[in-house]
Amino acid sequence: MKIRLMLALLLVLAIVVACAPAPTATPVPPTAAPKPTDAPKPTDAPKPTAAPAATSAPAATTVPPTAAPAATKAPEPTAAPAQPYKGANLRILVANHPWYDYLKTILPDFQKATGINVTLENYAENDLVQKLTTEFTAGGSTVDAFMQRPLQEGKLFAQNGWYVDLNTFIKDAKKTPDTYNFADFQKAAIGTETVKDMLTGIPIVTEQEVLYYRKDLYQAAGLQAPKTLDELEAAAAKLTDKSKQQFGFIARGQGNPAVTQFSSYLYSYGGDWFDQNTKKATLNTPEAIAAFTLFGKLHKNYAPPGTTNMSWPQAVAVFAQGSVASYTDANSIFANLLDPTKSTVAEKTGVVVFPAGPKGSVPYSVTSWGLSIAASSKNKDAAWEFVKWATSKEIVLKEQGVGANPGARASVWADPVGKSKFPADWVAAQVASANGRGYDRPLVVQVGAARDIIGTIITAAINGEDVTAAANKANADFQKLLDSEPK
Amino acid sequence: MAKPQPKKRTAAQVLGDVIFYVVVLIILGFFLAPFLWMVFNSFKTPLQIAKMPPDWIFTPTLANYQNVFSSQKFGNYLWNSIVIGAGSTFFGLVLGLPAAYAIARYKQYGIATAILIARIVPGITFLIPLFILFRQLQMIDTYQSLILAHMLVALPFIVWVMVPFFESIPQELEEAARVDGASILQAFFQIILPISGPGIVTGAILAFVFSWNNFMFSIQLATSNTKTVPVAIYNFIGYAQIDWGGLMAAAVTITLPVLVLALFTQRYVIRGLTAGAVKG
Amino acid sequence: MSNFLDRNVKWLFPLPAILFILVMMVFPILYTVWNSMTPWSISAGRPPTFFGLENYQKLPDDSRFVASIGRTFYFTILAVSLEVILGVAIALLLNREFRFKRIINSIMLLPMMATPVAIAMVWLLMYVPTTGIINFVLRAFGLPEGLWVYNAQSVIPALALVDVWEWTPMIILICLAGLTALPHDPFEAAVVDGASTWQTIRYITLPMLMPTISVATLLRLIDAIKTFDIIYTMTQGGPGFTSETINIYAFVQSFQYFNFGYASSVLVVFFAVVLSVSLLVTYSRRSLEI
Repeated sequence: MKIRLMLALLLVLAIVVACAPAPTATPVPPTAAPKPTDAPKPTDAPKPTAAPAATSAPAATTVPPTAAPAATKAPEPTAAPAQPYKGANLRILVANHPWYDYLKTILPDFQKATGINVTLENYAENDLVQKLTTEFTAGGSTVDAFMQRPLQEGKLFAQNGWYVDLNTFIKDAKKTPDTYNFADFQKAAIGTETVKDMLTGIPIVTEQEVLYYRKDLYQAAGLQAPKTLDELEAAAAKLTDKSKQQFGFIARGQGNPAVTQFSSYLYSYGGDWFDQNTKKATLNTPEAIAAFTLFGKLHKNYAPPGTTNMSWPQAVAVFAQGSVASYTDANSIFANLLDPTKSTVAEKTGVVVFPAGPKGSVPYSVTSWGLSIAASSKNKDAAWEFVKWATSKEIVLKEQGVGANPGARASVWADPVGKSKFPADWVAAQVASANGRGYDRPLVVQVGAARDIIGTIITAAINGEDVTAAANKANADFQKLLDSEPK
Repeated sequence: MAKPQPKKRTAAQVLGDVIFYVVVLIILGFFLAPFLWMVFNSFKTPLQIAKMPPDWIFTPTLANYQNVFSSQKFGNYLWNSIVIGAGSTFFGLVLGLPAAYAIARYKQYGIATAILIARIVPGITFLIPLFILFRQLQMIDTYQSLILAHMLVALPFIVWVMVPFFESIPQELEEAARVDGASILQAFFQIILPISGPGIVTGAILAFVFSWNNFMFSIQLATSNTKTVPVAIYNFIGYAQIDWGGLMAAAVTITLPVLVLALFTQRYVIRGLTAGAVKG
Repeated sequence: MSNFLDRNVKWLFPLPAILFILVMMVFPILYTVWNSMTPWSISAGRPPTFFGLENYQKLPDDSRFVASIGRTFYFTILAVSLEVILGVAIALLLNREFRFKRIINSIMLLPMMATPVAIAMVWLLMYVPTTGIINFVLRAFGLPEGLWVYNAQSVIPALALVDVWEWTPMIILICLAGLTALPHDPFEAAVVDGASTWQTIRYITLPMLMPTISVATLLRLIDAIKTFDIIYTMTQGGPGFTSETINIYAFVQSFQYFNFGYASSVLVVFFAVVLSVSLLVTYSRRSLEI
């Protein structure tokens, strides 16, 4: 029985051999333009999808593979039968995220209602990006929709033409009924998802930076929740007793991941990554250096050892064990800290808005994840059905109502159900920071490289090295990167 | 090793033995500790895992394993790993055995070098080119693509193990068969292969294990239908959550099959790992 | 037909394997070499058009690349030399008949068979400075605690320790096999001459075992220099860039910066490095007549 498989494979090998010289001679261009040779062959044929085949209706009749989005209306009856995309297969790449964890439990509703088969493929954050990039770069990807971080990959993917401009769907009344209520999405979130007038995705996850603090420890020391960074530093100093393994402060200290959580410090000191107008790097301005210095000092003097290789998982673990008094990080990780099954200090932990610096409290307030449609998808209309469903008010309310994910719809935040699973002080901090800065990392194409450059200053500051020297060097490197950015 | 033990043991010898066993125990402890810690923690809740000093006595929870098998569907991933491991091993043998035989018999060392180079090329080199290749062949999302990729690991290893093995088979055996009128093909299939069982088992087991453990090819070429276990372990690391209990249970689930396999076929595994370094 | 087969068997037998290698290996390598001569970058929006050796000219000025080479050798040499010293010593220790020997052999197999990604997760958990078991044990014995992979100075040794844990057993097993294969006569002569155990090891066992040890060492060198899974899982090159080996740097350039052209040039140089180490293997295998 294996013989047949074996013969088939040998045959495949023979074919491989036959085709070999061609790709060597002409490397495939990196652009997203799908190779014409791929177009006629539907890609969903061979794979046994997880969901049982809902129908035998041939996919080709319902989803014309090559038609441009605008022209697809013709073959469909405008009276819109209940399931115009019945039998379509969608391959959707998502990140391991509470949003996905909950969505997969309600996915059968969507499949039943539309007859569309959906395969959700989940990856860790970095692996997701690597996977998407390779597939899109090599061309011929079968990805229909994907989760994406607008601030990290937004510009990069847009520049390479890997997104469908969702405005084409939003503005088409036939595809997007009024009940979808696009205007309900927070303006800032839509702004983040927009690159050069193109709507790259629908925002699904929002977050702000907040301060988590131990109410009991602060109270015992006669302290209030810090309102300024100076107060934070004073409290951290007072609450640190290294002989008892008690520390006043923690935050991500690992260069690259720390950049986003450092951003609120930078903004609150009046600094920024670079000047948007002149494209001049501003990592070594007095404001920036003061912010880096404070951040380094908090880590060096009041944090547990080893923060320079700590991202949030390690920081969370330490805080949840009760040995740290204050912790600045994203409000999206609150479940790790406020859930009694995950944290020993859940009841004793409070949440407040990010402490103010010389320029007031300026936390980031960003859209960390969005849902996008791949330009190379052959099922764009069906994919839009999915995106529309997953970002509809009903689903966002469900997601938020179970506390799985803070969404981007204003009406859901106004709804008591939408807030019910979030602690009151968390909601208060969320509301107070909603108008913060719309980015937590420099808005460039080469975000990964930029974060690594900025990370070197953070590492130097934590290690107690010369911050100014590190900032000057990083600023020069960053300037080089800015100059190399495509216009 | 062959020194005869004197019948009467002096106090010094007893002491020597005690020291010996203590040292052996320490060495064993070093190699075993991570496994014990992994198993131990796989029965704990996340809170208990991060607790220091640890709870040595606690009520074990099976929640982590339930999570691994029910909500994360590790059953599927295990099956994928088995299919891909078996496939790449099988085809690695199909291609590797004749090649190794020719290399051993006809001193085709040039070919040997070419095949062994696959072992030294950094894995990252393959990621994008192979994706392009499989895309061209419409093979994305199939077991075949992963099997072919994993053969890049299996084939050189099988050749590496089998060449010295075939060299150790006396040429007279084959020549006797040839005198009796057998073709080379017949001699290979009827004389050489049957007595090569131990060598083949050795190569096959290790090729399977290497395929099982492979991370880099799998993460790039696998899709939800063909995901293998080392990739699936990352399911426990999320955007704002990391589940150490689940991670440890998954780690146990992943390593247990290969460890059991290795233990039951110990003799062959040791032979394979020491192949090429020790004569005979 | 049969005659044709018989005459050409030395080519026909390896043919399928050669074809496989041509497609699956030669194509990717040539493709990478070609890419290394283009400025191809997804992030900077540069196409894969030929522009010569510019990438290679940039390499010597790239401080991260230069540092990563040194670091790769630091890691490799540290790990492999520890493995060889420990491995040979333990093999000599275990080279006698005693109870439980089979069980011990079995346990030795486990570290190298276990899936590296899974094992790296376990070590990562054990290494956490505040809540990890290793520091807890050290503290209990009154020993100084370490920061392990959480500190720039200790990260490479900490990663090397994982490699040592994983691969020392291989050296042990190879040496044990080698010891079994040694002839008995010299040892008997030594006993007659009244040589001490140490003298026997120093002047008889080790010299005779040397060919085995050197091949084992070189095999480990090739694999250690390419270590990826453990570093990627545990530190991804951090803290800062202090555990960024060439392999990791090539990965970062490819899949975090998306500079495929430049990353390819890093890979080609890396390949050259591993190839030279491997040639050393082949050369010494020949010269040692093994």
